[in-house]
Amino acid sequence: MSQIMNMNLYSRGDKAFVYINMFLVALFTISTLYPFIYVASLSMSMGEAVTSGQVVLTPVQITFAAYEKVIFDSAFWISYRNTFIYTIGGTLTSLAFIVPCAYALSRPQLLGRKYWNIMIAFTMWFNAGMIPFFLNMRDLGLLDSYLGIIIGFACNAFNIILLRNFFEAVPPSFEEAARMDGANDFQVLWKVFIPLAKPAIATVTLFCIVSRWNGFFWAMVLLRDESKVPLQVYLRQMITQLSDDDTFSSSLLEAAYSFETVSAAIMVCSIIPVLLIYPFVQKYFNKGIMLGGVKE
Amino acid sequence: MENEQSYQVINESPRSKKLTWLIHHFQREWRLYIMLAPTLIWFILFLYKPMYGLQIAFKDYSVFKGITDSPWIGLEHFYTLFENDQFIRAIKNTVIISGASLLFGFPVPIILALMFNEIINPKFKKTAQTIVYLPHFISAVIIAGIVITAFAPSTGVVNLLLNALGYDSVYFLTKPEWFRTIFVGTGIWQEAGFNSIVFLASIAGVNPSLYESAVVDGASRWQMMWKITLPCIMPTILIMLIIRIGNILEVGFEMIIMLYQPATYATSDVISTFIYRQGLQAAQYDLAAAAGLFNAVIAFVLVIAANTISKKVSRTSLW
Amino acid sequence: MSGVKLEGVVKSYKDVTVVHGIDLEVKSKEFVVLVGPSGCGKSTTLRMLAGLEEISDGQVSIDDKVVNHIAPKDRDVAMVFQNYALYPHLSVAENIAFGLRIRKVPKPRIEELVKEVAHTLELTSLLERRPADLSGGQRQRVAMGRAIVRHPKVFLFDEPLSNLDAKLRTQMRAEIKQLHTKLGVTSVYVTHDQVEAMTLADRIVVMSDGRIEQIGTPMELFNNPINTFVATFIGSPPMNLISTTITSIDGLVYADISGNKCLLPQLENPCDLEVIIGIRPEYVDIVPVDNSSAVPIHVDLVETLGSEALLHCRIQESAFVVKVDTHGKVEHLKHLDTLYFRQDAITVFDKTTGRALSRSSVGCNA
Repeated sequence: MSQIMNMNLYSRGDKAFVYINMFLVALFTISTLYPFIYVASLSMSMGEAVTSGQVVLTPVQITFAAYEKVIFDSAFWISYRNTFIYTIGGTLTSLAFIVPCAYALSRPQLLGRKYWNIMIAFTMWFNAGMIPFFLNMRDLGLLDSYLGIIIGFACNAFNIILLRNFFEAVPPSFEEAARMDGANDFQVLWKVFIPLAKPAIATVTLFCIVSRWNGFFWAMVLLRDESKVPLQVYLRQMITQLSDDDTFSSSLLEAAYSFETVSAAIMVCSIIPVLLIYPFVQKYFNKGIMLGGVKE
Repeated sequence: MENEQSYQVINESPRSKKLTWLIHHFQREWRLYIMLAPTLIWFILFLYKPMYGLQIAFKDYSVFKGITDSPWIGLEHFYTLFENDQFIRAIKNTVIISGASLLFGFPVPIILALMFNEIINPKFKKTAQTIVYLPHFISAVIIAGIVITAFAPSTGVVNLLLNALGYDSVYFLTKPEWFRTIFVGTGIWQEAGFNSIVFLASIAGVNPSLYESAVVDGASRWQMMWKITLPCIMPTILIMLIIRIGNILEVGFEMIIMLYQPATYATSDVISTFIYRQGLQAAQYDLAAAAGLFNAVIAFVLVIAANTISKKVSRTSLW
Repeated sequence: MSGVKLEGVVKSYKDVTVVHGIDLEVKSKEFVVLVGPSGCGKSTTLRMLAGLEEISDGQVSIDDKVVNHIAPKDRDVAMVFQNYALYPHLSVAENIAFGLRIRKVPKPRIEELVKEVAHTLELTSLLERRPADLSGGQRQRVAMGRAIVRHPKVFLFDEPLSNLDAKLRTQMRAEIKQLHTKLGVTSVYVTHDQVEAMTLADRIVVMSDGRIEQIGTPMELFNNPINTFVATFIGSPPMNLISTTITSIDGLVYADISGNKCLLPQLENPCDLEVIIGIRPEYVDIVPVDNSSAVPIHVDLVETLGSEALLHCRIQESAFVVKVDTHGKVEHLKHLDTLYFRQDAITVFDKTTGRALSRSSVGCNA
């Protein structure tokens, strides 16, 4: 945006406009941030202070009792480990499917390219829905298994199309030059296209990681065994207990933690990994999203 | 007869030529097909095979007989559905919740993008953007957890504020009249920032010389925003609006599952939660599949219509 | 060393045929330039030679070996692309070494070869840089380095200079020519710029609409274009063409220009017919010489280039350009009202087919 950067050149009205606008954006930003601060404060407050309604912004009587409770709960660690398994395993599996497929679909010499593309894009418009998908997973014997969660959600049309669009936008001479240099398709993809498509692949990786990390519905439906459940399902159990039985927390009045503080602590533990990877990939997704969204 | 024979002779040679061409093609390009195959097989196994399973919507499905061998019963499930008040209510709720999200939620990212664009300090802009994109990446469970915590009757911050202002506590999540407001508001809070990216990208594509000439003409920033930026991103706005209308049956049901309870079903139960309860919780697979099919067909028609219109509007296809 | 041969090569996509049966033989060590307007099929021809496009019919051989169905990598050819196609994530050295690595050449050998090429192209100090940090001319050299490091049988160039500015283009043109002289590798070069074609080529192939119009040395094409297409494509400014009728008097052939009789070279079948006569801007005289005919003109504009000037004039209502030496003065040129066409500087073309009916004899003297 090449608007004038020097404020001294602005008229009084423009200056007022700029400051009011800045104020409003700041307000929106703070209101986005506030709930996270609130939850963090809850997690670090005395259970008693929370149940007696003292925590609004900052922690009251700082204590890590809730975190201690979480840390010594083996179910938390099991679900945390499971989430890592699903996220890492699932993301790698997704990339192993999506990247080569998107590359193949982007090559003009691929026979039936148009039909394969339609076959993939069609699933964005129409899908069989929850029940047939569930029954299919059951028939495939993928209920209650790690494999079911990892393989069953490996691909989606949007990510494939996003990446395919990026590969299509690479000038054909890159492939041709590599071919003349003796590279086959595997080498062209691995040595030329993947390095070139780093922003798009980073975007897709981010989408995969986020959806794996956050996914709970199908984990809840497909997994029965407590030892295979991911963090989000465990978290949901905690939270629904909280909302179903609001009075229950008062029985813990004397304790340093309450249901509120414990579930807040779990929420914080679940958000932290997202916060850690977020800045690294954030720079890529502006570009990546535009690529996926609209295509000439 | 003679004509036919000669026709065949002529036809033979291109066919064998085509065959040699194919052989050469696969000798050269077999790697591409190796790369494509796993994903295609995945699509068939996990997305197209369930479409075959959709037939149970027209069958009296029995777990023991399986999908293929269960007896056909025609449209009976659909009759049952449309006589079911809960299903009709779910359709109504879906449209109302979606419509409200569209009405209140659609302008916010546009306004946000315009506002971001007017920020001069790049550091402030970057920080603000980073923060407002963040909720998009947080799971429905946590967002719902935050909502449940914040709206809790005795300890939640919302009720604490109400108390401080002299009002009584309200147990919001058990009140049907509050459900939609809370759900739509949460949705806006979570997605408005992230949805502004598309509009920001569109604004970035506006020719800078338009602003320069406007500055020379003495336009104020407010005027430039209204007279240049907004008209220039109008096509994007239009397309996004059409897409949203096309996806009107899509409601963030993970969040609803987290937030709703029998007390609020009157306003909170949507088609997908209805399917979830009927199908996965009550194991009425065939009936729920029928509801799902109904939903999918309507959604399909809407999306195709939206895509066709957006193609006409902008000559830009979405896929 | 090795030559290249195209026999009846056709390229068609579904309904459209873009190359209609091309026959061309490039001799070993020869530098051949394919030139023509965009869409004439020159790039497609080059790409078929490289193996990047399949041929629909005909036969391509390199070094007397038919390569129709041989993959590009096995043809032992190297190509320099219009946009260079340098891998942005690799350094200059890695870019040059890419093909050798793919071919699993031993590491010490790769280093040796890269050094050698870098020395030849004066890239030694740039080896660790990324393409993004290079100037246009340097990128161009890296692209050539990547081609020559493999010591291929044939070099292919696809409009390699079209992304450079005018000054750099002239400089790189000279470098390519020198490199060819030094390495002596058979080269096929595609361009739409006839100046590049003239300066680089041992032989030029002029193409149009998927067909070869004429093959010849630069001077052959300049002096004896086979038809009006080649006549106007080669040379800058292009050959002037005037539509007229001819008459034969006493065994001599004359053309009627603005009512004047203009003496033409001898034709094989002189008879009354409609023709186009062509004369190069450089071969028009402003003073009478032997065997020249006077033609009245009106000067619209004088463009001064320094040692030369371009006169934009009108003959029979059609534009006509003359290139004259100024000898330091241009004032007098504005008032010129007569030009002189030497008989041997004129080429006569058939009006309907555009084919040349006479051979200019200017080139024969030179």
